[in-house]
Amino acid sequence: MPQNNHTLIITGKVSVYFCLTLGGTQKLTACYHFRSTVVISGHHALPLSPCLPRPPQEFDLGVESQLQPVEGFGPYFKLIPATGQVKELQTIIRDRNTSRSDFKFYADRLIRLVVEEGLNQLPYSDCTITTPVGCQYQGLQFVKGNCGVSIVRSGEAMEQGLRSCCRSIRLGKILVESDLETHEARVVYAKFPDDISQRKVLLMYPIMSSGNTVIKAVNVLQEHAVEEENIILLNLFSTPAAARTITSAFPRMHILTSEVHPVAPNHFGQKYFGTD
Amino acid sequence: MSGRFNRDPPSSASSDSGGEDTVAPQMDEEESITDHGEVEVTSTPNSPRPPSAGPPQTPTQGALRSPRTRRQRSTSQSQPSRSREPILRGRRRTIYTAGRPPWYDCQGQLVEPFVIGVCGGSASGKTTVARKIIEELDVPWVTLLSLDSFYKVLTEKHHEEAARNEYNFDHPDAFDFELVAKTLVRLKEGKKVEVPIYNFVTHCRETKTKTMYGANVIIFEGILAFYSPDVLKLLDMKVFVDTDSDERLVRRLQRDIAERGRELDGVLKQYFKFVKPAFDYYIAPSMVHADIIVPRGGENEVAINLIAQNVMTQLQQRGFKLREKLANTNFGMARPSSLHLLPSTPQIRGLHTFIRNKDTPRDEFIFYSKRLIRLVIEHALALLPFRDITVETPQGIPYEGKHIATEKICGVSILRAGETMENALCEVLKDVRIGKILIQTNLDTGEPELYYLRLPKDIKDYHIFLMDATVATGAAAIMAIRVLLDHEVTEEHISLCSLLMTEQGVHNIAYAFPKVRIVTTAVDPCVNEKFYIVPGIGNFGDRYFGTEPSDQ
Repeated sequence: MPQNNHTLIITGKVSVYFCLTLGGTQKLTACYHFRSTVVISGHHALPLSPCLPRPPQEFDLGVESQLQPVEGFGPYFKLIPATGQVKELQTIIRDRNTSRSDFKFYADRLIRLVVEEGLNQLPYSDCTITTPVGCQYQGLQFVKGNCGVSIVRSGEAMEQGLRSCCRSIRLGKILVESDLETHEARVVYAKFPDDISQRKVLLMYPIMSSGNTVIKAVNVLQEHAVEEENIILLNLFSTPAAARTITSAFPRMHILTSEVHPVAPNHFGQKYFGTD
Repeated sequence: MSGRFNRDPPSSASSDSGGEDTVAPQMDEEESITDHGEVEVTSTPNSPRPPSAGPPQTPTQGALRSPRTRRQRSTSQSQPSRSREPILRGRRRTIYTAGRPPWYDCQGQLVEPFVIGVCGGSASGKTTVARKIIEELDVPWVTLLSLDSFYKVLTEKHHEEAARNEYNFDHPDAFDFELVAKTLVRLKEGKKVEVPIYNFVTHCRETKTKTMYGANVIIFEGILAFYSPDVLKLLDMKVFVDTDSDERLVRRLQRDIAERGRELDGVLKQYFKFVKPAFDYYIAPSMVHADIIVPRGGENEVAINLIAQNVMTQLQQRGFKLREKLANTNFGMARPSSLHLLPSTPQIRGLHTFIRNKDTPRDEFIFYSKRLIRLVIEHALALLPFRDITVETPQGIPYEGKHIATEKICGVSILRAGETMENALCEVLKDVRIGKILIQTNLDTGEPELYYLRLPKDIKDYHIFLMDATVATGAAAIMAIRVLLDHEVTEEHISLCSLLMTEQGVHNIAYAFPKVRIVTTAVDPCVNEKFYIVPGIGNFGDRYFGTEPSDQ
């Protein structure tokens, strides 16, 4: 098992997390955990030994990740945990007999879960604050300077979910249309915050069947000088083909999805906006 | 013979079961904004005495065909009946002090309430005695149960007899003693009971029942209270009210003729045919069972005082200092398996940083705590069982999915801080039912006290999401879980959701109720001497609702 900087974290679940950070990148990249019996500390998430190397500035000692990398798509392609709950939301979205009001309600819930996980990918720094009881709390603070970019139209369904978590986040838009004859995707419209190259970008697009649309959109972002590793793609459903296409085109882009399945629910945008 | 009142007037203490339970009277609250923009809540307890334990309520009460009086019915009372105002007023704060203290030990096990039986002839003043005992005790959460609620349902033949004043309402056969014993046993076990409401015009039980729950003291009164041996052995103290028979007859005549407009002949006929023989054959001999005989009924203040003092001693012996015990219990062991802690992701830590910071303005505090609450609720939902289903998709392929195994989910919030979590539950579950429990800390004793409770009628069939924002010693949560169990909710069907708990609180709850699922976002090491969590979050309710004391 490869390891350089590692930190032992003890949790209530009696599991050990070896968290690896790769030199140079600022991200927590992989999280392996083993079920095993370990010493239980009464306190939550304390480092066992003070002489362990200090991890890079963004990596906090008490932080866990519940994301699972997917076999075959590289370290940056991750799934949110497939709980029964998430599976139920996916089932409702896929069910052809779901009413529109239910569809929107449960789609919004799934979006919120993906967005919350996506925000975990953003950079932060440690900080200490004082609680009303007068005690210190070792917390963390997210770095300012992020923005959302939705791919019109279905990506806009995810804007509200992002706004519910970040009230005043800036939102850009990209409109990509497929040519009816050649099926080639082409960018029709794009509007971003001026300083988008300085920001982390949460790119929103719920359904990926071929991945062409997302590739076009990322190209536009790169034309605006956005670094590939500063893009976090938030996605609900992806086909294995799209996942392969995108991860090979942009190996350092972060991708977060809830399901990889050969058949994508392509009716998503139509049903969400009621134009079916 | 107008017979205008054919049902009990609704009591404020125990509700008619129209689908909801109430045990405490609603407080009439007036909100007034002071010039500093702070909201002050003042309260007038709406019933200085239990309405149905009082004297006949209106002189216009019409005469009924029944020979029985209709004055008193079973009531539950959750406030002291007089004197001390059940609130403390600080300079800027108003705190209610008359809740129900813990009625179980720190393992969550129940301690039996004290049951007083009051027996005596018709018109002997049993109700007055019961009422005076309640007044003298001056403790909250007293339930008055009347034998009158347990008349048997009459057959057609008996109906005709009753119409001719020939049905014997004073005979033991007229009462359903089996149901009396069953009801008393359940009340003693601290369970919720449905007391029938007897209609004295139709001589049937109403389809509605009166829900009673939560008594520290139960007073059971009736002419034949000591008749059934099964009932007798449930009584912790037996009081016989011995009033001179002439006086009882005079009172009865007064009541039936002056207040109900009945004919002298009819009243006397009934008295000599049924009431007097019943007294001589059944009631007077039961005096041997009595621990205390009170002559002259309600006027006998010395006797009532003695009874009250004795009961107080008994109650004090059973009293608990729960929270202190909970805070000092030392569990040097691993975290229980029923604890489901959310993974400490950067977002969760970041949200905690916002809401724990004492300098966070209220709008941010509300916004970020709402986000955190949503994550807790989603996490708790994911822990429920799901079953496999297959659905049709618009793409034409079948999809193997999952569906939640239980449709019946109900939220129960522990007021006040728990209410802040209701909205998140409504955001993830369409049309979810919400129950409420008000538990406040008594500032004198530091103990949690139960004030108010409103739950869906069929709550036992539900999976419960019990919500409280913070859990320090776990005293309030244990009380709330106890209430749910008393309403026959299955222990496995309770998920306790909170934002922040302490090691102690987790252990206390898991120890008392090992099957309750505990879901929280962080566990802090301890509580301070004021039972605040350290490092903690401060008073969550005060910060969320903006009711922090201004001197801080």
